[in-house]
Amino acid sequence: MSRLKAEHLYKVFGRRPEAAVRRLEDGAGRDELRADGTTAAVIDASFEVEAGQIFVVMGLSGSGKSTLLRMLNGLLEPTSGRVLYDGRDLTGLSPAELREVRSRNISMVFQHFALFPHRSVLENAAYGLEVRGVPRAERLEHAAEALELAGLKGWESSWPDELSGGMQQRVGLARALATDADLLLMDESFSALDPLIRRDMQDQLLDLQKRLKKTIVFITHDLNEAMRLGDRIAVMRDGRIVQNGTAEDILVRPANDYVASFIQDVDRSRVLTAGSIMAAPAADAAAVAAVPDGAPTVSEETPVAELFSPFSRSGSPVAVTDDSGEVTGVVTRDSLLAALADQPNERPREEEPEAPTPLAPASEPEVITHA
Amino acid sequence: MPEINLGGWAESAVGWLQSHLSWLFDAVSTVLTGMYDGVHAALGAPEALLMAGILAIVAWWLRGLPAAVLAFAGLAVIDSFGLWDRAMATLSLVLVASLITLLFAVPLGIWAARDRRVSGALRPVLDLMQTMPAFVYLIPGVMFFSIGPIPGLIATIVFSMPPGVRMTELGIRQVDGELVEAARAFGTTPRDTLVRVQLPLALPTIMAGVNQVIMLALSMVVIAGMAGAGGLGESVYAAVTQVDIGGGVESGLAVVVLAMYLDRMTGALGKRVSPLGRRAAAKADAAAGAAVASKVLRYRPGTAVAAVGVVVLALVAGGMRLADGDGRQTAAAGGGVGQGRAVKLGYFPWDEAVASTYLWQNILEERGYKPEVKQLDPGPLYTALAQGQMDVQFDSWLPTTHQQYMDRYRDRLTDLGSWYGPTSLELTVPSYVKGVDSLADLKGKSAMFGGKIVGIESSAGMMGKLNDKVLKEYGLDGEYKVVSSSTSTMLAELDRALKKKEPIVTTLWSPHWAYGKYDLKKLKDPKGAWGQGEQIHAVGKKDFAKDFPKIAEWVKNFKMSEEDLSSLEAEIQNGGKGKEKESARRWLDAHPGLVDKLAPVGA
Repeated sequence: MSRLKAEHLYKVFGRRPEAAVRRLEDGAGRDELRADGTTAAVIDASFEVEAGQIFVVMGLSGSGKSTLLRMLNGLLEPTSGRVLYDGRDLTGLSPAELREVRSRNISMVFQHFALFPHRSVLENAAYGLEVRGVPRAERLEHAAEALELAGLKGWESSWPDELSGGMQQRVGLARALATDADLLLMDESFSALDPLIRRDMQDQLLDLQKRLKKTIVFITHDLNEAMRLGDRIAVMRDGRIVQNGTAEDILVRPANDYVASFIQDVDRSRVLTAGSIMAAPAADAAAVAAVPDGAPTVSEETPVAELFSPFSRSGSPVAVTDDSGEVTGVVTRDSLLAALADQPNERPREEEPEAPTPLAPASEPEVITHA
Repeated sequence: MPEINLGGWAESAVGWLQSHLSWLFDAVSTVLTGMYDGVHAALGAPEALLMAGILAIVAWWLRGLPAAVLAFAGLAVIDSFGLWDRAMATLSLVLVASLITLLFAVPLGIWAARDRRVSGALRPVLDLMQTMPAFVYLIPGVMFFSIGPIPGLIATIVFSMPPGVRMTELGIRQVDGELVEAARAFGTTPRDTLVRVQLPLALPTIMAGVNQVIMLALSMVVIAGMAGAGGLGESVYAAVTQVDIGGGVESGLAVVVLAMYLDRMTGALGKRVSPLGRRAAAKADAAAGAAVASKVLRYRPGTAVAAVGVVVLALVAGGMRLADGDGRQTAAAGGGVGQGRAVKLGYFPWDEAVASTYLWQNILEERGYKPEVKQLDPGPLYTALAQGQMDVQFDSWLPTTHQQYMDRYRDRLTDLGSWYGPTSLELTVPSYVKGVDSLADLKGKSAMFGGKIVGIESSAGMMGKLNDKVLKEYGLDGEYKVVSSSTSTMLAELDRALKKKEPIVTTLWSPHWAYGKYDLKKLKDPKGAWGQGEQIHAVGKKDFAKDFPKIAEWVKNFKMSEEDLSSLEAEIQNGGKGKEKESARRWLDAHPGLVDKLAPVGA
C-alpha cells in the first residue's frame, strides 16, 4: 500500500463550489468557471506516493500545486476527493484529529521559511514538539538533534534574523524533522534561495533522504530541481496533473507539447542515463560488434554526461553492462547526439487540441534558470 | 420629507433606561467608583514629592536615568503650580479609564481580527464612538451615573476605545500569513496560534494602541472636567472660561507633563513586554559605546531593584501619613445652625455663578454647614439637580436663557427666587471713548472702531438679537460688522484694547466682572431694542426646602446689587484661579455685617 494517496482531488474557490465540481466532472473548462466567478485551483488530481519516495509536483505559478499540497495535510479542505495517509482518510477527520496528524505524521517546510521571529533557532526547531506537549528538556534535545542533522550545530541560541536565507531554511527543515513525522511537505522550499545555496540544499536533502528515508512531497516550479530530486514527478498545468512519471519518462516521453516545451531547456545530459538511450544488443548487432575489446563499459545508471569522455577518445560505440558484467545494451555516438538534440526522440503520443505554448522567458524567467 | 423623530426616541429611550435599568447603572457606578477611588487614594496618599519620586523610579526602570530626572522635574513643576492633587485625580481617571478600555478593546480587536463580519460590524460603531461629540453622551452619562468622575470615565472609555480595538485588530492581521499557516501546519490549535504566535508578534502594534488609548484618555479629561470629573480638566476648563491665562497655561502644562510621562512610559513598556522589543533594546545597548558617562546614563535598575525602590518610598509615604494623621484629628466641629450637614453647591463657570456660589460657601461654612462646591456645565448641573445629586445652584437666568431646563425638569426643581435683576445685554465701550454714550451715537463712527463690533459665540442668543434687531433699529447694519468669536476671546480683545487705549466696542452683559475691573461705559438703548432683562434665580433640588429649610429661607431673601456683585466678581477675578473661596472671604470681610444680614440666625 502506498504511504500517501490522493484520489480525484478538487479544490474550487468561490460560490457554490460543489456545483462547480460537477460541471468540471462533466467536462467544463477552467475558463468557463472563471466567468462565473469561481476559481478551480485543482482539478481531478490523483496520485500515489510510496514510502521513502520524493514526489515532486512541478508547475508554474497558478497551476494549483501549492493548493494541492495544502489539501494533503488539511490546511485546505478538498472540495471533493480523498486524501489517504497509510490508508486513513484525512478528509473525514475532525479538526482535533487532523491537528494530531499534523503534529505527529505530516510536517511542512515553507517557501519563505516561516520561522517565528520571536523565538530562538532552538525554540523554532522545537515548535512542533512544544505544540504536541512534549516536556521542555526532551523537546529541546530532539530539536538540537534535528538542527545537527540540518547542519546547524552551534547556532541553537541564535535568532532567525541573524541567519542567512539558506541557514534559515535549514532551521525550517530541522523544525519539520524534529517532530519525527514521516511525511514532509515542502512548498517551494528552496525557491527563495540563490542558485548556489539552492543546489547545496538539494544535495543536503538527498543526503538526508538516504539516511532518513522520509516520504517527501516537494513542490517546485524549477524543472531542473524536479529532475534532480524527484523519484517521480507530476507536472501540473491549469489545476490538472498533465503528466506523472519518472524524470526520464518526462524527458523522453513528454505527454504533450506543454511538457515538451517545458523540458527544452533542461540539461538533458544530466538527467538521461546510458540505459535510457542504449539500443539492445540484438537490435544493433553491428554496433555491438564495433565495441573494441577491453574498452571501458558503463552501467545503465551512468548519466549521459559521463559518456562524453569515452566518445571523445574514440568514435567506437560504448557497451552498457549490468552488475554481473553482462552486456545489456550499446550506445553509439549517433544515439547520444540524438538524445541530446532538442526534440525528444519520440513524438508526443497525442497532440493536445490547443496550440503548444512555448514558455516566454520574460514572464516566467525562473522556470529556465539552471541550478 | 417626513420628519424622523430620532431625537425624541433617544430621549424616551434614555428615560426608559433610567427608570428600568437603574440597578445596572448603580452596579456599574459602584464598580467604577470603587476602582477610581482606590487608584486615587493610592496615588494621592503620598506627599507630592514622594509620589514624584516613585514615578521617577518607574521612569528609571523603564527608560534610564535622564528620563527619571526629567520625570521628577516635570512632576515637581506640577506640584509647584499647586495642581498636584488635581493631577493625581486626572492620572487616576486616565489609568482607570485606560485599564477598562483595554479590558474591552483587546478582546474585541482579537475577535475582529478573526472574523471579517465582526470587523465589519464593529467599524461603524467605532467610528461613531470616535467622532460623536462627547457632550452627546456626557449628559445621558450624568443622568445614569450622576455627576462626578463616572460620566467622565465613561466618556473617556468610549472615546479611547477605538484605537485600542483597531490597533489590536491591525496587529494581529498583519502577522505574516505564512507564520500562521506554519503554526497550523504543526497542529497548533486556534487558541494556541493566538497566544503563541499572533499575540506576541502583534504586541508592538497593540502596545502602540495602548499608548494611543492613554493619550486619548488624557485628552478627554478636559471634557470630562465639564461633567464634574474634577482634576486638571476642571482647572483647564475653568481657566479658559474665565480668561485666566496664567491658570490655563499652568493646568495645560500639567496635562502636558502627564501626557509626556505616560507616553514615554507606555512606549518603553511596549519594548519591555514584547520579545522582539527586548531583543532590539539589547542589540542597541550592545551597539552603544562603553563610555563611562553613557553607561551611567544608560544604566537601568533591574525590575527587583526598582520594585524595592518603589516599595521603600511607598512605605515612607505611609509612615508619614500615619504620623501626620495623629495631629489632624483636631479639625473644628461645626456647631451653629448647620450642625456639620453637607450641602452640595453646583455652579457652571459663569462669573456671577462663581461669585455667588463661593460667597454662599463662606456664609454656610460660618453657619456650621459643610458646603461642597462643584463646577459643572449647565446641562449636567441641571440634570444633577433634578436627580437630587446636587442641592442648589445660584445662576438660573430666567425666563429666557435657562428656561428650557426649567421646563424640562419643572417638577423636580425648586425655584428659590431671584436674587439679582434685571440683567441686561448691551454694547460697551471704554470710558475714554468720548462722544459715544448711546447706541445712536455709534452711527457714522465706524471708522473709529474699524467697522467692527467684537462679539461672542455666534450661537449665543444676544448675537442673534444684535444682528437681527439692535443694529437695524439704530441703522447700524451695513456700517458695522459683528465679529463672532468666543467670550474669552472677546474679553482678551477688550483687555488688549484697554491696555493700548484703543477704541473698541464689544458685546457685554450685566452683571459682569469686567464692569468691576475696567472703566467701561454701557451704551444706552433709548429704543429698548435689547428688550427686557432677565432675573437670576437660585434653584434647588425638589426637596431642598424640606432638607435645608434654613438655607432655603436665607436664599429666598438673598439679594445683591450690581455694584456689590461686580466688586465681588472683580475680587475673585483678581484673586486668581483656585483661590475663589479665599477671595470671597476677603470680600465678605470687607463688608462687615453682611453675613448676619444674608443668613440671620434665630428668628
